Amino acid sequence: MSTNPKSAADQVDKPTSPPPPKIQAAPLHKAAVPVREPEVEEDERPPMTPVRKRSYAWDFRAAGEPFVWGMGGALVIGILMIVGFLIFVVYNGILTFYPEPLYVVKLKDDKQIAGELFRTEVYKIEPDALKELPDGVRKEIEDQKGFAKRNLYRIGNFDLYNEDFRWTPTYDIVETSTPKDMFFVERIEWGPFVGRITKLDLNGQIIPGSDLTAAALDQAVAQAAKRRARIREIERTEMGEVNHYLEKGRLGLRKVALKYGGESPEYRSAKDEYEAKAEKWRSRHQELTKEADSIKERDGKYTVTLADVNGQEKRLKLSDIVRLYPANALTATDKLRIYLSRWWEFLSEEPREANTEGGVMPAIFGTFCMTVLLALAVAPFGVVAALYLREYAKQGRIVSLVRICVNNLAGVPSIVYGIFGLGFFAYLVGGSIDQLFFPERLPNPTFGTGGLLWASLTLALLTVPVVIVATEEALAAVPQSMREGSLACGASKWQTIKYIVLPRAMPGIMTGLILAMARGAQEVAPLMLVGVVKLAPELPIDGIFPYLHLERSFMHLGFHIYDVGFQSRNSEAARPMVYVTTFLLISMVLALNAASIVVRNRLKKKFFAGHF
Amino acid sequence: MAQTHASGPKQTRRAVLVADKIADKVITIGGVLVIAAVLGMMVFLVSEAIPLFKGGRVAAHDRYTVKKADSPVVGLSVDEFKTIAARVDRSGQVTAWHAATGVAIKCPSFDLGQNRVTASAQAIDSRYIAFGFEDGTVRFGTVEQKTEVMNRRDLPSGLTSLNERDSSDGTAVFSFIPGDQIRKTWIELQLEDPIAVSPSARPIVAMDYRFSRFGERPVKVLATIDDQRTGTLLRAESKLNLFTRKVKTDVDKTHLPQLGNGAEIRHALVNELASSVYFGEKSGKVYRFNTRDVSDIQLAETPKVTPDGVDLNVFGYLAGEGSVVVGGSDGSVNIFFLLRRDDATTPDGSVLVKTRVFAPQPAAVVAFSPGQQSKMFATADVAGGVWVRYGTSTDTLVKIRCSAVDSKSAERIQLSPRGDGLLSVNAAGAADLWELDIPHPESSLRTLFGKVWYEDYPEASYTWQSTGATDAFEPKLSLIPLIFGTLKATFYSLLFAIPIALLAAIYTSEFVSPDVRGKIKPVIEVMASVPSVVMGFVAALVLAPIVESWIAAVLLAFVALPCSMIVAAYLWQLLPPPLALRMQGLPKLTMMFMVVLAGTFAAYSLGPTFEWLFFDGNFRAWANGDRGGAAPFYFMLLVPVMAIGVSVAASRLFGARFSAYMKQVPPFAAAALDLARWLGIACVTIAASYLLAVGLQTLGFDPRGGFVGTYVQRNTLIVGFAMGFAVIPIIYTLAEDALNAVPEHLRAASLACGATLWQTAIWIILPTAVSGVFSAVMIGMGRAVGETMIVVMAAGNTPLMDMNIFNGLRALSANIAVELPEAPKDATLYRVLFLTGLVLFAMTFVINTVAEIVRLRFRKRSMQL
Repeated sequence: MSTNPKSAADQVDKPTSPPPPKIQAAPLHKAAVPVREPEVEEDERPPMTPVRKRSYAWDFRAAGEPFVWGMGGALVIGILMIVGFLIFVVYNGILTFYPEPLYVVKLKDDKQIAGELFRTEVYKIEPDALKELPDGVRKEIEDQKGFAKRNLYRIGNFDLYNEDFRWTPTYDIVETSTPKDMFFVERIEWGPFVGRITKLDLNGQIIPGSDLTAAALDQAVAQAAKRRARIREIERTEMGEVNHYLEKGRLGLRKVALKYGGESPEYRSAKDEYEAKAEKWRSRHQELTKEADSIKERDGKYTVTLADVNGQEKRLKLSDIVRLYPANALTATDKLRIYLSRWWEFLSEEPREANTEGGVMPAIFGTFCMTVLLALAVAPFGVVAALYLREYAKQGRIVSLVRICVNNLAGVPSIVYGIFGLGFFAYLVGGSIDQLFFPERLPNPTFGTGGLLWASLTLALLTVPVVIVATEEALAAVPQSMREGSLACGASKWQTIKYIVLPRAMPGIMTGLILAMARGAQEVAPLMLVGVVKLAPELPIDGIFPYLHLERSFMHLGFHIYDVGFQSRNSEAARPMVYVTTFLLISMVLALNAASIVVRNRLKKKFFAGHF
Repeated sequence: MAQTHASGPKQTRRAVLVADKIADKVITIGGVLVIAAVLGMMVFLVSEAIPLFKGGRVAAHDRYTVKKADSPVVGLSVDEFKTIAARVDRSGQVTAWHAATGVAIKCPSFDLGQNRVTASAQAIDSRYIAFGFEDGTVRFGTVEQKTEVMNRRDLPSGLTSLNERDSSDGTAVFSFIPGDQIRKTWIELQLEDPIAVSPSARPIVAMDYRFSRFGERPVKVLATIDDQRTGTLLRAESKLNLFTRKVKTDVDKTHLPQLGNGAEIRHALVNELASSVYFGEKSGKVYRFNTRDVSDIQLAETPKVTPDGVDLNVFGYLAGEGSVVVGGSDGSVNIFFLLRRDDATTPDGSVLVKTRVFAPQPAAVVAFSPGQQSKMFATADVAGGVWVRYGTSTDTLVKIRCSAVDSKSAERIQLSPRGDGLLSVNAAGAADLWELDIPHPESSLRTLFGKVWYEDYPEASYTWQSTGATDAFEPKLSLIPLIFGTLKATFYSLLFAIPIALLAAIYTSEFVSPDVRGKIKPVIEVMASVPSVVMGFVAALVLAPIVESWIAAVLLAFVALPCSMIVAAYLWQLLPPPLALRMQGLPKLTMMFMVVLAGTFAAYSLGPTFEWLFFDGNFRAWANGDRGGAAPFYFMLLVPVMAIGVSVAASRLFGARFSAYMKQVPPFAAAALDLARWLGIACVTIAASYLLAVGLQTLGFDPRGGFVGTYVQRNTLIVGFAMGFAVIPIIYTLAEDALNAVPEHLRAASLACGATLWQTAIWIILPTAVSGVFSAVMIGMGRAVGETMIVVMAAGNTPLMDMNIFNGLRALSANIAVELPEAPKDATLYRVLFLTGLVLFAMTFVINTVAEIVRLRFRKRSMQL
């Protein structure tokens, strides 16, 4: 538009360039600084030049094209950043679980390595390393200004090599092949194994690797997985229950001792009772141990012997294998099956190997529980506070001051809420609860340390300003005439609010609530202080009374990203897990945000329709 | 209402009235409570932080008289529960009493035989004592308060009650402790065989004793000097044979060179490592021996530590042995450090430097007791004043007076092992026990916000280092590096975010059609909902390694992107006007995308060449200062500044004439001329910048060591990117809203008067919306100040104080996240972290309040327009 010939033609009698803006800027400045402006105006106005008529001309300065491009460039950079970021996350999140081919790479020093190609990068070679290279290679790299290319192979077999990733510069590679008989074996421990199957030992029945059919292998692995699941069920669920009751009995006894003293008759009778029960539980424990041992013994007879690319052998129990597949002999359906089964494992299993493998079910569950509790806590408080501010409080200086403060609290750093949550909820409130209700467990804290309840309340406090602001806006958007109409018809104030105001404000309140949940679900910093852990032994909800355990610490997707990405043994090995978790968290948060936008749009339509 | 009331049957139902009343009350009370609770957060933070600034106080004071000592007191000790106190005098007599009441407890005494004690020393751990005799021998002893925890039912009968906690059978004290148990405390003595130390078997005149434990090996270090002025350094190490359970003691003895005639030695001092030995004269002259290498012992220096005419009365180490406390007869108390100095004239390159000056006491300082677990210590003067001080802060925590002033001043004072009590006695038997309550001696305004000269540091500095390996570690709790880190991260992220966000906001608001705007805005708003932990992860693990490899290309991009946009704009002007007009909307935006991508690609492919040209082929080595000159970098910095300068100068000089001329030529020629003008300006800019850069280099300026320097992988540049990413959507959305809120009629009026879009945007819309835009920037800044996960993950967390953009930092928020989980409840660190939380809270609160007030003003004003 700026180069519109018409508008240029309209600027018929304009003295040279600066005045047009000046003239228009003047009234504006007057509004702001009425006193000083006239003098300044007169001083700065250039001496009038004789007005010359212009027929058809260009004023590139008025169009400001370079500046416009600069602004457009900034917008484009912003968009590219966000789009690039999302593509990066989605790409990595979606592709991570897809089975990759296994390469056998022959190096210049006649060694072989085998593994998935994990990443390729162009890097800057260190000057010292460059000097030691053969002449031809060095020259080539120097031509590239010191940059060389290298591949990162996931070679697995950590128990054999003490590393599971290896950078290989492309100039070291002689040839790369993809043999059909290479297997990628995911194990319970030690990370993946890359190699060939030498033989299978099924309780004495020995099948050499060359005779092995895919079906037989799958069947053997599936059976082993069943045994593993049974052992796990006995050891975790059933024995866990026994231990839980034993501990509960012991604590009950201690409580009696604290209340009546260690010599009292009450204590003695309680102790007898406890001993009788404990005896029962202990014998149950022994039975379970026996059962588990017998399965384990049988399980130990089903083994597989693997060999790495250089022939080094490794025997392991079949039940230690999560999944194995001949990576280079897969059909598209096989690949899809493996891909989906990995996703299923990720969503439904517990983490293994210091969180770098397995699934994130406890973290999903923890995030979900916390977000729901947060919503339950934040909704009534936020709505009540907003109702008070908008409908009940006398609108005046104090209320607008309070409003500014509430607005500001939305901008207070989350970590500050975290310290507050730790100091106030966990230590002060939780400590008092422990002394009143759980003295038998002291000095081990029950509520006196971070936990699900305190984390939810801390985040509720963090998000309550969001809900207050959103609710207030929604309440303000309900036309005053509707309230007046309702009151004029004889409804009481509460009836008006209940039947007229709240229903119309509901979409706005819901938007605020969803936004609060989205903010709560993505916050990590305060959780690090009030109850999130890297590995929670138990879920916050289980089958033991009272079913919902508010005092337990929990896992969280956001913290999982931080923990796996930064605290794990091998950040390379952890990376796939981080990508997928990131993808999951971002989808969750974006879904919540999208929901709020949908609700907001619905609100707008409704509101405008009703108003006019 | 009145009518319904009057017409009987139509009365309002009671339930409605009751519900209304209840709702009224519930909402009012609930609302007020919620708001109070939310605002109460600040109150809680303050209440947790306030104890940091409270000094010490005396919680209780017990005074009593114990048995008079026959000879001067040489040792005083009290156990960590302040149950039994024991006094040793020169004859080896040990007197023990119940610390709180003064009731005597029976205990054995040291049997020193006929040998007369001429000197003695007590280790910082007051259980260990050493005697020096007139025949030049020494003996080690221990006075130990043994304790044993037992069951309540094992309590013997016939005890006399001492106070509500303790009772005694005459030889031991039984204390009730929580958990229904009893702690029995009694005194046990041990005395080792004499060891000859004086080569000429002369009486020992001064000695100092250190006792330390390295694992299971107790090491005793003793420095003595006899009346022939020959010093001896003795190191005894006891090893336990794990099979035979026998203790074997190795004794190393080293004689020091004899001191000159006339040296009247009164004090000796040695450290645990036996690497430094000091002997002090009464006049304040100190002889320092460097005994690090026992085969080559040197008299390193002989400084005078007190002014002329002032006697040296107190000479001792604080726990950790970094500080030497010197007390004079004029009441002065100072701390000296042994520091390595490049300009030192001493043979070992170290000098004793006076680093901390304490408030002087009114009378001569005569007694001194170092705290066993901290830098706390107590000094007593002849007038009976006892001052408890803290070494790091140089604050006086508590001032107390002995009750024995009338007879004689405190002869000996002793801080209890936990620093929560102080015991004083004199030879006449007057004794005091003060229960001290000094919860946070380490923190004061000076240590938290001031420059402090820490032990082993070459100079005073702002340092944060909250925890160390040993008890003797000196906590360094300056908040300044953390505040600096926060501001640095905020500054660099805003430097990146503000231009992009504001320019993009203006463009979206003023140059894009509403339907395109409706699509662009949500895309950028999506950015706001990306969890910061994800941004931190991507920044630290993905971006940081890439930027490290491609640092030159990244730096080049800062120049290449703006340049490519400008070149594209001038080329765009060359388009025939009708075509340009037709392509105004989406096609132009698409072109911009292409140009940005092209600029990025150019930076990527030119990066290595750029690195060779500007940084001698290796940016990291260049940044370290190893190679290359400063000129190219200055050149890069000067180009934008110069560009502005040159353009302004050009438009001042011939701008008006030039544009008048341009109006007379056909559009294409004008556009070509404009491009030529820009190229000309660019050439002049480059030439001028280069000349200036070379000039600066010749003058010896170098940016390295300032705001550029050593490159670490997780650095402020990365944090700036990631945090900018977090802040951009906030500033963008709010600024765009503010620009959009400018009434449409202003825009219309301006355009109708013939102004172009650009003129309207810059001269009408922006000035009207400037306060709203400012408030957007402030809110973005508030977010950057408080952002936690990004700085935790991508900033390296090193609490440094330099402006170097390629170095890491530690922000207040990250510090809380990293250290609070490890901080014990109610300890000093815990409260200091609450204080940092409060600082953060205050910072963001102020920023947000300013933003909010400005925003309200803006809203009011735009309503009026």
